[in-house]
Amino acid sequence: MFDRTNLQVLANHARAAAENMAHTLHRTAHSAFVKETQDFTVMLMDSTGATFAVPMELGATWYPGLSYHRAIAMVSDYRPGDVAFTNDPYSGHVATHAPDTHLWKPVFVDGEIVAWTGGHIHNTDMGGAVPASLSRALTEIHQEGIRFPPMKLVKEGVFDETILRIMSTNVRKPDLNIGDIKALVGALNTGERKIQAMVKKFGRAGFVEGVAALLDHAEAQARDVLRAMPDGTWEFADYADEDSVEANPCRLKLTLTIRGDEAVLDFTGSDPQLGSSLNVPSGGDPRHTMLLVGVYYVLYTLNPKILLNAGLTRPFTCITPLGSVLNPVHPAAVGMRSLTCARLRSVIFGAFSQAVPERLPAAPAGNNCIVNVMTTDERTSRTVIAAVNPVVGGGGAMPHRDGTNGSGADAAYLRNTPIEITETETPVEFVKYGLARDSGGAGRWRGGLATEMAFRVFAPDSRITARNRDRSFFRPWGVLGGKAAGLSDMVVNPGTEHERRLGNIDTAVLQPGDMLEIRSAGGGGRGDPYQREPWQVARDVRRGYVSAAAAERDYGVVLRGGEVDEQATRQQRARHGPPAGHFHFGPERDGYEAQWTPASYDRLHALLDALPIHWRFFAKTEIFRRMKGRAGPEGVQAAFDAVCERFPELPHPCPVREAAE
Amino acid sequence: MDGTIAANEARQEADWKVGVDIGGTFIDFCALEVNSGRLASLKVLTTPEDPGAELMTGLALLAEREGFDPVRMTRFVHGTTVGINTIIQRKGAPLALLTNAGFEDVIELARLRMPDMYSLFCSRPDPLISRDMVFGIPARMRADGRESRAPDMAAVESAVAAAKLNGAQGIIISFLHAWRNAAQEAAVKAVITRLAPDLFVFTSAEVWPVIREYERSSTAILNGYVHPRVSGYLTALEERLRSRGVPTRPMLTKSNGGLMNAAEGKRACVNMLLSGTASGVIGASWLARQAGEDKVLTLDIGGTSADFALIIGGKAQFGTGELIGEFPLYIPSVSVSSIGIGGGSIAGVDAQGVLRVGPESAGSTPGPACYGRGGERATVTDAMVVCGWLGHSEMAYGQLRIDTRLAYRTVGDLAARLGRPVEQTAQAILDIAVSEMFVEVEKLASRAGVDLREFTLMPFGGGGPMLGAFLARELGMKRVMAPRRPGVVSALGGLVADLRGDFIRTVFSPLSDASLPAIREAFDALAGEGRHWLAAQGYNAAAELNLFCDMRYVGQSYEIEVVLSPQWLADGDMAAIVQAFHLTHQQLYDFHDPDGDVELVNIRLSAIGAGPKLSLPQADEVDAPANPARRLAVYTGLGVETVDLHDRQTLVPGSTFHGPAVVVQEDTTFAIPAGAQARVDRHLNLLLTFPE
Repeated sequence: MFDRTNLQVLANHARAAAENMAHTLHRTAHSAFVKETQDFTVMLMDSTGATFAVPMELGATWYPGLSYHRAIAMVSDYRPGDVAFTNDPYSGHVATHAPDTHLWKPVFVDGEIVAWTGGHIHNTDMGGAVPASLSRALTEIHQEGIRFPPMKLVKEGVFDETILRIMSTNVRKPDLNIGDIKALVGALNTGERKIQAMVKKFGRAGFVEGVAALLDHAEAQARDVLRAMPDGTWEFADYADEDSVEANPCRLKLTLTIRGDEAVLDFTGSDPQLGSSLNVPSGGDPRHTMLLVGVYYVLYTLNPKILLNAGLTRPFTCITPLGSVLNPVHPAAVGMRSLTCARLRSVIFGAFSQAVPERLPAAPAGNNCIVNVMTTDERTSRTVIAAVNPVVGGGGAMPHRDGTNGSGADAAYLRNTPIEITETETPVEFVKYGLARDSGGAGRWRGGLATEMAFRVFAPDSRITARNRDRSFFRPWGVLGGKAAGLSDMVVNPGTEHERRLGNIDTAVLQPGDMLEIRSAGGGGRGDPYQREPWQVARDVRRGYVSAAAAERDYGVVLRGGEVDEQATRQQRARHGPPAGHFHFGPERDGYEAQWTPASYDRLHALLDALPIHWRFFAKTEIFRRMKGRAGPEGVQAAFDAVCERFPELPHPCPVREAAE
Repeated sequence: MDGTIAANEARQEADWKVGVDIGGTFIDFCALEVNSGRLASLKVLTTPEDPGAELMTGLALLAEREGFDPVRMTRFVHGTTVGINTIIQRKGAPLALLTNAGFEDVIELARLRMPDMYSLFCSRPDPLISRDMVFGIPARMRADGRESRAPDMAAVESAVAAAKLNGAQGIIISFLHAWRNAAQEAAVKAVITRLAPDLFVFTSAEVWPVIREYERSSTAILNGYVHPRVSGYLTALEERLRSRGVPTRPMLTKSNGGLMNAAEGKRACVNMLLSGTASGVIGASWLARQAGEDKVLTLDIGGTSADFALIIGGKAQFGTGELIGEFPLYIPSVSVSSIGIGGGSIAGVDAQGVLRVGPESAGSTPGPACYGRGGERATVTDAMVVCGWLGHSEMAYGQLRIDTRLAYRTVGDLAARLGRPVEQTAQAILDIAVSEMFVEVEKLASRAGVDLREFTLMPFGGGGPMLGAFLARELGMKRVMAPRRPGVVSALGGLVADLRGDFIRTVFSPLSDASLPAIREAFDALAGEGRHWLAAQGYNAAAELNLFCDMRYVGQSYEIEVVLSPQWLADGDMAAIVQAFHLTHQQLYDFHDPDGDVELVNIRLSAIGAGPKLSLPQADEVDAPANPARRLAVYTGLGVETVDLHDRQTLVPGSTFHGPAVVVQEDTTFAIPAGAQARVDRHLNLLLTFPE
């Protein structure tokens, strides 16, 4: 057993190695994806492939609990200097969409593998149907670019040129891919050297025991967090606005059961895998890191000293039915799984929020919309492609303060681009970039405000993509009396006769002089807004965060000339009853769920689960087409019966009635 | 000291140059009498309630102890924390911001990304100007510098009236694309000056006209925020010095490692926010050059934090985006990395029974338990005492005394919880503190792409020498150089610094022969500004003008600094400029793209007026083993060993000894681990080497 007195020293050396790898990659990478967006990870792994250290400042936040063991096992005969890789979401279950290319390298000591270094980069493009290889509309993995199952990329220090040539032939920006991959190999080599230095300092046995102790320590910390929660079972569901071009909601459902220091996350009841690229390829791994990202946030928020490594995942077991959106089967498309992952996180936040309501915030905006513009520079007649600012929304209101405005919570890793840089490089002109009034959920603590951005283009047929847009129908929820937040929106030429509301659509074509306005959702509110101190509401009005009308309507605070009218406020607030229920979802979801009750969904899933996987999304879509004027489980059954009638080929028999009970 | 007659003679001819650094706990003095080469140093406790008063106390003590005469002071340079404290304590002036309508939230959104990104409670700092004091003015400048909408002066008028009503003392103006064309800002400033002559006004372009609206606005706001306090402080300081008959005007150390005069400091306050840390690195660079050290990692440990900087080729490294409290500062500054581990960092045991150190700190009040000022929790300093490295002499010029029992009691509490002997627990605290610094230094080295094994560690500050040699071992460094007076390196830095003014033009154009005239024009304008600035500082000798460009490949979103020769501009040698960029890119990032199109973003100029040519007193080295003052018992990690204690005053050039050993002096204690060979060089630096 490793001496706990010195565990922090080992933890610091491990973290230094991980930081060193991250800085090396960040410094030597070529693409904006790695350098600017920081869409990369690096990690140190134990001999089984379980991550034991990650950097804390650079890179993405998703993979501290990743285990490479299945991918490692798919390659044989590792030798010193080898590096293996894969970007295939369906083999090894480390890559989760084709642009993410994962590499791993064995670290040998005395002829044996004592550890691994690894990491991923998001390649700008891996080929396939669309530039950047990502579009919600794609329906099978083969459209999303070339895939490499786990294989050696570097053999005893020498790159396999055949692989590089095949990749270069199939992708749109080969130089960026190769440059970034070589930078990542450099980072893995750095990590290998640092691990060897640790073995020298702590001794081989000391290192191996120490790494085990780091994983055990994180596990113990996670178990302590769980033990401090009450035992129980909590259910929660949330929706992505659109499941595909069919534009029906995609429902994710979680049943969280906490017993002592363990938790089961059962995602049964989540929608069947989709005919779009919103699927999350977990491979059914009960501790897949993609399923647990929301859990990392919860654990870290409740104990900021928690060590981020795979040990954290040990007390958790995830259940993801095969053929569901969270465990799709080949060849379901997965490119835009990040949108679904945002919703997955809010489902986890909602379940834990019921377990420890006093310690967690309301829903964050949860739509990390990335905006790209392709237009023509009128001065040079050249096509310009540029990423403009991400349009993200505020954090959920916290137990003791307002939600962070404009971004926050699980979107804190995103950066914006200065207006002046974008306008200098790209022929667009911004009209607005700021916070949207009245967009934060009202509450004792207000949700963070949404971001609002508007710009004009000057050339014909300028194409805009706004990836990951969501929350244009289902609002970020409030808790404990706090209200749901404002919705996201995308409008061309707002307030003019040429106005076009785009709802949840994520692309737009603009003509000269057109203005596009994009607004994110806000963060949910927390606690009864009528309990918010009137001076805080008055200050929000002074700052333009809340309108005077909303102050009166949502907070019961009456203002006269900017000052609180105490008497009118008392009267206004006296008319208000105490809020009911843990969550506030807003009228859209309440209306939707009047038709689609939990029982409706139970019936839907019973019907769909009885079908072969490749029939389910089709059947779901056809049922939704026939739901007009119908509601409840009987309505779903009637719609299904109509589908069966229209499509007699639908596989039978359907033992649905028993299954629904 | 030298006898009355000699002292009198010296006083008649004396030429005193004095550097002063005002820190959180102490104010440090470094005074050089040029004719005799005598270097005196001193520390006095600060008086936060009356900044500047301690300065006069210190000067009086210098006169009393060292024969210093204020009337004979020809140079007075000082660094102060007045500006940075104003920001950290949020005690600056109430301000209003006038900016483009539609973009009022730029300062709150900042660059979006925030630290602590795994926490659902992460947040950005509240801006120094709250949203109700931000006024959107209809106005628009295009990216090419053409105005598409003139500022609405009626809106300006009502904004100023509202700002005054709400108590604003000053106004910051920041409009989009003022980096390209500052006319809108200037026009609005002229109107405000007429409307409200009682308000001070700064525009973003006059403070630092760089592209990127958040960075430029935020820099201008920091400037305005500290302006009244800093300028009040400097006015009082000038008055105090004048009243003591000091003939010279005070100079200030700047974040860029150079100097400016007090008149400039009252206006361009933002330039002095990091003066103390920057001049520490400048002092260290000077010491390194004197000793012939080329590559140095500096380590300055105080009560609550440790600062690190790289010196390469004898020169400090520069960057932008250094943090001032919670706010990044975008003017060129000496690069210093910081971590919240210092002598006062508190050790504790977490819920899972793991020992941890920091970031909580006992600071200077109450300070470590062994200071006997009410500290009740074990700190890094207490662990040093328990191990026996510390507590054998007076500290901080006799202003502190160590109570060993208190150190044992607090570390003993932790040892009992861990079930460990107290010395082992103390050693573990030191190991953890060192490993925390190790993480930060490793990050710094990998960012810079350097191999630390080629570097010499230079510890300074009160705490640097305590832990420096241990950190060097952890990093695999083979050399440690401890200056003779590690406590006053920042004050020394001011003493030896040059005048330095930085100037910038954002050009933002592709690099081609067509852009040459614009680049030349910008350079000529900057050279003019630089010369004019030096003249205004009272400097009339030959100016050194250093030219830099911030360049990138088209499509990149960050720039790198490339040093250019003005001759290349004169000759129109574009190939040389492009080549310099490729080379720099290769050095920094390990690759370059010979076919890539290159873009020039900023052209920058440093105007340097050389400081006094000073040198350290030196003496020939005479090899001789040092005589220890006594021997002590120290727990070195393996067991209790008997080690030598040396008094720094008795060490002369050529003295040698080996570790483990302890060296004590007035302002610090140097812990020297086993395996180190120690030697005193001709400048009285103590040099450790670790043979492999």
